[in-house]
Amino acid sequence: MVELRELAIDYPAGSNSYRSSERVPAVSGSSATFATGGISAIVGPSGCGKTSIVHAIAGLLSPSSGEVLVEGEPVRGVRRRTAVIFQDYGLLPWLTVEGNAALPLALDGVGRSERRRRVRPVLDELGLSAFGRFYPSGLSGGMKQRVAIARALTSEPDLLLMDEPFSSLDALTREAAQEFLLGVRRSRPLTIVVVTHSIEEAAYLAESVFVMGGRNPGVIKERFDVPENGSAIRFPIGDGPSGIADFRSAPRYLELCAAIRASLRGGGPIDDAGEPR
Amino acid sequence: MRLPPGLRKAASVAIAAVGIVAVWALAAAALGKPFLPGPLRTFEAFGALIRDGYLGRHALASASRVFWALAASFVPAAALGLAAGRSRRVDTFVSPLVYILHPLPKVAFLPIILLVFGLGEASKIILVGLIVFSQILVSARDSSRRVPGQLMDSVRSLGASRLDLALRVVVPSALPDLLTSLRVSLGTAVAVLFLAETFATETGLGYLIVDAWARVAYAEMYAGIVALSLLGLGFFVAVDIAERLLCPWRSYRP
Repeated sequence: MVELRELAIDYPAGSNSYRSSERVPAVSGSSATFATGGISAIVGPSGCGKTSIVHAIAGLLSPSSGEVLVEGEPVRGVRRRTAVIFQDYGLLPWLTVEGNAALPLALDGVGRSERRRRVRPVLDELGLSAFGRFYPSGLSGGMKQRVAIARALTSEPDLLLMDEPFSSLDALTREAAQEFLLGVRRSRPLTIVVVTHSIEEAAYLAESVFVMGGRNPGVIKERFDVPENGSAIRFPIGDGPSGIADFRSAPRYLELCAAIRASLRGGGPIDDAGEPR
Repeated sequence: MRLPPGLRKAASVAIAAVGIVAVWALAAAALGKPFLPGPLRTFEAFGALIRDGYLGRHALASASRVFWALAASFVPAAALGLAAGRSRRVDTFVSPLVYILHPLPKVAFLPIILLVFGLGEASKIILVGLIVFSQILVSARDSSRRVPGQLMDSVRSLGASRLDLALRVVVPSALPDLLTSLRVSLGTAVAVLFLAETFATETGLGYLIVDAWARVAYAEMYAGIVALSLLGLGFFVAVDIAERLLCPWRSYRP
């Protein structure tokens, strides 16, 4: 379980600022609980501090107040079994697909042949075994995405954080990637937190959807539970490609999207940029 | 006919060389002055100088000066520059050095270097090394600042240490830039070496050229100039090969 307790995050105002003591708030007093073994989504407009929350859970930045607990332990620095997939995938251009996927093992000091042996099944599972010697620059967006997932899985995580993982994919690749993620989740015990600006994506993937609002600072303001997704994650149902694709056309799904959209609008005034104030 | 890229490049360099030699031959014939001998006479002199080992000795002296200057300056400059680009504390010391050293024409230091380090090999190597050092320092610093933050974060999230980040992210990310600036500074280095070799030495292509000039042996002088160009070309090709070996992801073609 991942728990945010009154989490607040701020940043120095401009890296070249003379008055470096001045800070800009990114997130304020946000609390949430992400259930173990499920997929949770944080949805919000751009600039609402979603990425900051991912960084705080990953231990890449320390909150200005409040705390993050992963499996009951407060997060202080990077945690061994937390994997993060960044928006632009964070693949190293100078490593091959295999080298990128094996990077967590290399950082642990695992030897070359042992790395090979352990990476191979992961590449097989993700349909990447034929591309082991390719460099990322030769791959499509969807394949880079899969390499990033392969790298995350190689580190045998219990928590997977994904920051806008599908936002740069075209619609069909995106849906395939979402099915793929559900498949990955079904095959292993893994807590997944997905940050997205897409209402549809959050509603389709997550058992619990957390809606963020505001900007500088943003705050987690509402939670929607989607038990249907919980059972879909564990037991494929229906007759879609993965058994659950029909959820997208279910009335319940459309209601959910509408409710999330209403929550994002916050009922309050919308500013010039179309963002809730 | 499709040639592999390496051969294609070599072929285009050869064609350019033929073009230059043709222009040279035309100019020499049109001018008909002793100070511009044609390519044929120059290559004859070149062959003669190679046969008696004279050219080889001087070319080797020049090449080894450039080599040692590179060997001594590249790694320290790259390490210092990369560290400065990533650490504000290191940059506090390196930045002033960059601002003072880089814009200064290093050739102007030649008299000082000769006075301090004497007339021997050391002063020539130091002068050339200084040029390479400041060029590499600047581009290493700028390049390591440009490493995308998300790349650093993504590797940091895997539990990488600072040393891991330096060796697995910062160095490979800056490597292509470093090789490019090495290429640029090699051109300057060979030019400055020429000047340094006209002072207080009896070895090196610079000496050969100026000595031939003084003896009014124009064909020999041009042979020296050709040899100096070939030396520059050789270093250029060496950097190209190094880039191919060290940065294989750059030459990737789908």
